[in-house]
Amino acid sequence: MTATPLAAAAGAVVLAGGRSSRMGRPKADLEWHGSTLLRRTCGVLARAGLAPVVVVRAPGQSLPDLPPSVEVVDDHREGLGPLQGIAVGLAALEQRVGVAYVSSTDLPFLHPAFVRRVVAPLLAEPALEVVLPIARGYPQPLAAAYRTRLAGRVADLVAADRLRPAFVFEQSEVLRLDDEALLTDPELCAADPTLESVVNVNEPADYDAARSRPGPGVVVECFGVLASRSGRGARTVAAATVGEAARAVDLVLDRHVLAAVNGDQTGRDPHLPLYAGDTVAFLSADAGG
Amino acid sequence: MAETPVPAKAAAPKSAPAAVPGGYFGRVLVVDVSDGSSRTVAMPERVLREHLGGAGLGVRLLLDLAPAGVGPLAPEAVLAFVFSPLVGTPLTTSAKFAVVAKSPLTGLLTDALASSHFAIAGKLTGHDAIAVVGRAAQPSVVIVDGDHVRLEPAVDVVGMSAARTEEVLRERLGRAFKVAAIGPAGERLIRYATLSHDGRHAGRGGLGAVLGSKNVKAVAVRARTKVAPADPAGVLAAAKDLRTRSFGTATAKYRELGTLANLLAFNALSMLPTRNFQQATFDGAPALAAEELADLRGQAKNSCASCTIGCEHIYQLSPGRGGRTMRVEYENVFALGPLCGVSDADDVLEASARCDDLGIDTISAGGTIAWAMECAERGLLDAPWLRFGDGPALLRALDEIGTGTGVGPLLAMGSRAAAEHLGRGSDQFAVHVKGLELPGYEPRTLHAMALGLAVNARGADHNRSGAYEADLGGDLDRLDGGAPHVAAAVETEDRAAVIDSMILCKFLRGVFVDEDDPDAPWGEWAHLLSLVTGWDLDADELRSTARRIVLVKREYNLREGWQPEDDWLPPRLLADPIELPSGRTARLTPERLRAMVDGYWAARGLDAHGRPRAVDSPTGDRRG
Repeated sequence: MTATPLAAAAGAVVLAGGRSSRMGRPKADLEWHGSTLLRRTCGVLARAGLAPVVVVRAPGQSLPDLPPSVEVVDDHREGLGPLQGIAVGLAALEQRVGVAYVSSTDLPFLHPAFVRRVVAPLLAEPALEVVLPIARGYPQPLAAAYRTRLAGRVADLVAADRLRPAFVFEQSEVLRLDDEALLTDPELCAADPTLESVVNVNEPADYDAARSRPGPGVVVECFGVLASRSGRGARTVAAATVGEAARAVDLVLDRHVLAAVNGDQTGRDPHLPLYAGDTVAFLSADAGG
Repeated sequence: MAETPVPAKAAAPKSAPAAVPGGYFGRVLVVDVSDGSSRTVAMPERVLREHLGGAGLGVRLLLDLAPAGVGPLAPEAVLAFVFSPLVGTPLTTSAKFAVVAKSPLTGLLTDALASSHFAIAGKLTGHDAIAVVGRAAQPSVVIVDGDHVRLEPAVDVVGMSAARTEEVLRERLGRAFKVAAIGPAGERLIRYATLSHDGRHAGRGGLGAVLGSKNVKAVAVRARTKVAPADPAGVLAAAKDLRTRSFGTATAKYRELGTLANLLAFNALSMLPTRNFQQATFDGAPALAAEELADLRGQAKNSCASCTIGCEHIYQLSPGRGGRTMRVEYENVFALGPLCGVSDADDVLEASARCDDLGIDTISAGGTIAWAMECAERGLLDAPWLRFGDGPALLRALDEIGTGTGVGPLLAMGSRAAAEHLGRGSDQFAVHVKGLELPGYEPRTLHAMALGLAVNARGADHNRSGAYEADLGGDLDRLDGGAPHVAAAVETEDRAAVIDSMILCKFLRGVFVDEDDPDAPWGEWAHLLSLVTGWDLDADELRSTARRIVLVKREYNLREGWQPEDDWLPPRLLADPIELPSGRTARLTPERLRAMVDGYWAARGLDAHGRPRAVDSPTGDRRG
């Protein structure tokens, strides 16, 4: 799949500190094809080209394993809702990037094409302050892009006990994108035509239904001695992570095996998220000669 | 260094002098082929410990034995076969030797390694190195039979390939002799001529031309003595352990498919240089891949002397092309295939065989021909038949290099000199570093490797810098070169310096890796050297030795005219981006490379111009 990554002028904020009361257990820890929901969300945002990725958690909240590149910041004020988390996240990024995509943890089908579509207008239009999708009939403040300079404005609203995201939008230059507008982007239209990127899981039944779906269809190809063992030629398997793709072709991601998604970086992170149309190359780690 | 003339009919040395550390003889043989005389030069233990052997000791010898600024093809130039303390031990992959000289291609250091019984026989003549100087009056073979050295005419083998020369001379001298020889290209002083034994080549930098300039067609050696390690039982136990580990997963790639396994994987990662580095992927790659050819053309597998890995894969031309067999490696297929846009396996294999017959380096040959193909397509070179993708044109170009006809004399110069000669802006796409053509690793998509190639003492070389391992290891972004890439380039260059000096095969390097202990290889290498030499080496000392060897190479190059701008990459690689399938653009800007080179110089303790500081000069020379 060919996609245009964003310049690193945009970072990401993932809000992980919610109470998950309807789910009955922390959403961040939910298993996702051998990984976790939080790990997947962070991986999706990184694959969209956003850096740094900042996770905002509640004080003392334990998180599942995350890559070293992901930063974790604590939101010391509990019970104030997502706006407080957004303020903390934007403040963490304000000195480094001008734009942040803000995401909740619980979007298992979030696609980088959606993220890029939402962030792109902010990178192109300096006057804009927020890009707010109105997707599948609802405003998506936790799948939206913000200027990081709004950190202070959001914090002021929280201080004034004005805790709904709508108050931010009242005071900001907002571009609202409905389904039709979102899908004018050919990459997104091809990758996620029904905008499942904003489908969240709030209750166990939601999660079970989402988890029971097979992973996306990805193309796997093994090279060198790995092809001798796992078969030659490209083949399509269902895999939501690199680890799942490796298992599908009977490979173990040990120090002798490397994986590259769409010909980009090599590594052996089994949690790296995959999407329909991805190509995963497995090769021997001993590259010399 | 004390010198001792060699008696005309000396007895074979029975043992090393008492003070010599295990694994060494403590002396170097210097043969002057101008008059057939020879002498030995004592090697103090300090010098051996500081430089080990192979490439490290070799550059030390060049500094001490060769006059500063001497032309690489002048009689006074030195060419040295350098052995190592591990040669002759039962340690797997240790039967290797280095050949060092001033390169006629780069005008700087070249040190090439090869693996064969020549290493064992050469060392067991009783010398840690054999250096050749002078110019013989007629084509000759240098015969080193223990301490007995003589020249014999070699007129009858003139024009023969290195392999055929070896056969003829061993038939004449006896099978106990091991013969390293040059092909017709070395005789004709082609700047990237090789020096070979048993089909293994000291391939890069034109060592064959240096020997050819001395009117020496071959060097024949016969073992006449033994050398004991300091701890024979310890070495034997270590050898058994290493042998067992050498059969593991870390060497599977080399054992099962050979280095050609790189081709398809590199293609998938946009790191396969194609059509003179105009692209980084090649549509024709599958037709040349080991995964395909191993079944269709694979004939046999083989090992170098004293090696348990067995990386040699013997392929066969199709019956319609004569059915000849040959060793195939990634680099020769890359350089004669994708780099020239050629995807016909028979054409590529036949081209590789012709390089072997001529005795020329496949990488420099392919790189120079690829440059010429682009010149011809741009109308800069009057050779309209020379086109990317045209296998017969590739073969014709090689033939013309061999015969000195048509475009041959131009291409025999190598891409840098040829571009200077042709002019018309063709230097903008002559892809070399310091005059040495690039191997099959695309620098724009491998930024640590890009730095390694830029700063390497012998030019663009993948054996002296294994920084691609860091690019592919997953811990850094291979498209975003910076401080981590500098550290990786330094570390991998240091490791290569020690491996090439003690000497072991780099294909064994994965066996020493412990992901939880970065010092593990250094510790184990120090242990192996200690068992052989009797020295109390540790990882820290070996790291210091590695850094010293790298700096001594730089010191030699400085003496021979290196300039700061030589640590750089060719213009094409700094101007043209590469688009990846992921959508990312791989770009290596001059600013990024400048920052990495400056970082490398600083990490090496060099000054702002890449020169050793006066107090740090590894040779003890004080420079202002």
